[in-house]
Amino acid sequence: MFSCNSGGADAKDNLSAVLCGINDLRLEQRPVPKPRDHRKYLSPNKPSQCTPTLEVLLQMESVGICGSDVHFLVHGKIGPFVVTDPMIIGHEASGTVVEIGKKVKTLKPGDRVAIEPGVGCRMCSYCKEGRYHLCPDMAFCATPPIDGNLSRFFAHDEDFCFKLPDHLTYDEGALMEPLAVAVHSLKQANFRLGQVLLVMGAGPIGLVTMLAGKAIGASAVLVTDTEDFRLKKAKDFGADCVYQMCEDKPEDEIVQEIKEELGCEPHATIDCAGAVQAIRISLKVTRTGGVVVLTGMGQLEMNIPLTSAIFREVDIKGVFRYNNDYPMAIDMVASGRANVKPLVTHHFKIEDTVKAFETAKTREGNPIKIMIHPNPNWQHCL
Amino acid sequence: MAPKDNLTAVLYGINDMRLEQRPIPVPKPNQVLLKMEVVGICGSDVHYLVSGRIGPFVVKKPMVIGHEASGTIVEVGKDVKDLKPGDRVAIEPGITCRTCYDCKSGNYHLCRDMVFCATPPVDGNLARYYVHDADFCHKLPDNMDLEEGALMEPLAVGVHACKRAGVRVGSIVLVLGAGPIGLVSMLTAKAMGASKVIITDLVDHRLNKARELGADFTVRIEKNMTENDIIKKVKSLLGEDPTVTLECTGAEQSVRVALQVTKSGGVVILVGLGKFEMTVPLAGALVREVNIRGVFRYNNDYPIAIELVKTGKVNVKPLITHHFTIEETKKAFETAKTGQGNPIKILIHANPEWKP
Repeated sequence: MFSCNSGGADAKDNLSAVLCGINDLRLEQRPVPKPRDHRKYLSPNKPSQCTPTLEVLLQMESVGICGSDVHFLVHGKIGPFVVTDPMIIGHEASGTVVEIGKKVKTLKPGDRVAIEPGVGCRMCSYCKEGRYHLCPDMAFCATPPIDGNLSRFFAHDEDFCFKLPDHLTYDEGALMEPLAVAVHSLKQANFRLGQVLLVMGAGPIGLVTMLAGKAIGASAVLVTDTEDFRLKKAKDFGADCVYQMCEDKPEDEIVQEIKEELGCEPHATIDCAGAVQAIRISLKVTRTGGVVVLTGMGQLEMNIPLTSAIFREVDIKGVFRYNNDYPMAIDMVASGRANVKPLVTHHFKIEDTVKAFETAKTREGNPIKIMIHPNPNWQHCL
Repeated sequence: MAPKDNLTAVLYGINDMRLEQRPIPVPKPNQVLLKMEVVGICGSDVHYLVSGRIGPFVVKKPMVIGHEASGTIVEVGKDVKDLKPGDRVAIEPGITCRTCYDCKSGNYHLCRDMVFCATPPVDGNLARYYVHDADFCHKLPDNMDLEEGALMEPLAVGVHACKRAGVRVGSIVLVLGAGPIGLVSMLTAKAMGASKVIITDLVDHRLNKARELGADFTVRIEKNMTENDIIKKVKSLLGEDPTVTLECTGAEQSVRVALQVTKSGGVVILVGLGKFEMTVPLAGALVREVNIRGVFRYNNDYPIAIELVKTGKVNVKPLITHHFTIEETKKAFETAKTGQGNPIKILIHANPEWKP
């Protein structure tokens, strides 16, 4: 067994953040996992499915809080996924390899990795056709009943751990998860160098989408939001222009004003808000022959102006997580094309997880991305 | 009733094919044990027999031959949920690592750690019993028989080639070569909606088969024909330039013709494998934006191949010309080598209860 800077897997301390019920987040000790050669999936469809896999043991370094983590804490469910048993939270993460299974070939102890949290069954037609993110037996960190990775140690499939270049920090590693969502959205949009992008919503996902759009070579990106302070952040981070949405303004006026601000109609609009008004505007403002990508998740039923999009051949595409997008996300940051560092606004040790989630819930201090650090040696550098 | 007879066809060396008993394999949790039914002979199997190698793949130790196969499941590993004993399946012969970038992005056929039946050093499946990963066994519908099941392998090659070519309704397709691969490519192209398919070959009996299978036009390549002669003949019969050319011979002259005859903006798919180094008129194709694409086996094509036969869009039965029992394997390969009796697809039956 190999050890790393914090005492390695010999240590029995595997403090883990466990969601035990609505608003009931507790810190508990869990056994330190051992890297396995086979993994059992606890999927509702196939109660005992065994897929050969090779695992590494990771010391967790940075784990970001996602809106979905907060949603599970506050509501105990998202759609059909219900927290029925205690579940470890967290899925936007990076770590250091401390131990590898016997047959692991591509990673070694000491390697610093970004962790892609969802592993498919590898056998179904979705997995074999390259769309493993749609696998019906997907095992995804912190989507019940699968444990997440906000713990000191976590075991994961070797091929879903992506080595970080030396000059990337662990925080940047953890940001690969939301950035991968952005990369996937832009792929769905078929977005190309020289095109114009409209991003609805300046939350963390809207911001990484803007950054990724610029990295691909957008000639201009406009970001909308209802809140002034978020638009200011978007501008600071590189948005070419911003627009403040107002609930009471007539839609067609908003459409017109966005076009004037951009100077043209966008080739692609990516909605990162999930709000009906934003989606309605997306369908109207996008260039004929363009694409609307709906990343944000909102109401199940919506009243939308569909016909205009249809006969203008504006395609409408959905987004569910990502597939094969981590390499591009890492490259965007490593090459300097996208700077994600400023998105991290708050840091907490794993012991202060409850406080971290309080900050996420109340939005005190206007957090963008809150990072939690399970490595006991982590120190806040200012 | 524990079966003990696992007669297996093993390639020991050049022209040295032997039948021997091997232990009956035990399926892993994600595998199935198959009673093998029908195994077709492929040109690559014959090549290994005659030359002992194909490119970098060399038969260094005894290897079981055969990879175009169908079987009946007799036992399932404990984690197998979608198949059960009694199910008849078409066997997709290549198992992949499932973890590399190619596997995860849907191009599992390009996986560098591919484990493929009868590509050395991996054993093939011409035996009475064989184990395979369950998810690479494709259930046959009730209206397809086990012989058609074995033909899913070459048909998958045709499907993959036509997909890579973008064949669709309205395509004008030229197929060079009317061997088994040219024929399945032609059948698939028609099923995908090609409005005209023209097919060439050196040999009359193959062109007769092509006509029987639905070719709109055929061209017999004669010894004294120049490239230009062939190009002119193809275009005059078609009345226009082919938008898709499926090159299924691997012969240099044929590849040269493909690059010249295909319509501007069209595509040439090189299915046939020939010399490593070829002299070809590349510039003419490039400035006309004729795309040149290779193919390697297939990926996610078995379900389509099965659908084509199940719904009657493709009839593969006329490709079957010869039958042998596994005991007659050597004779089967002799027929393949000599071409006696004009074989197209030779099937070997591994089930001892099979009767002609």
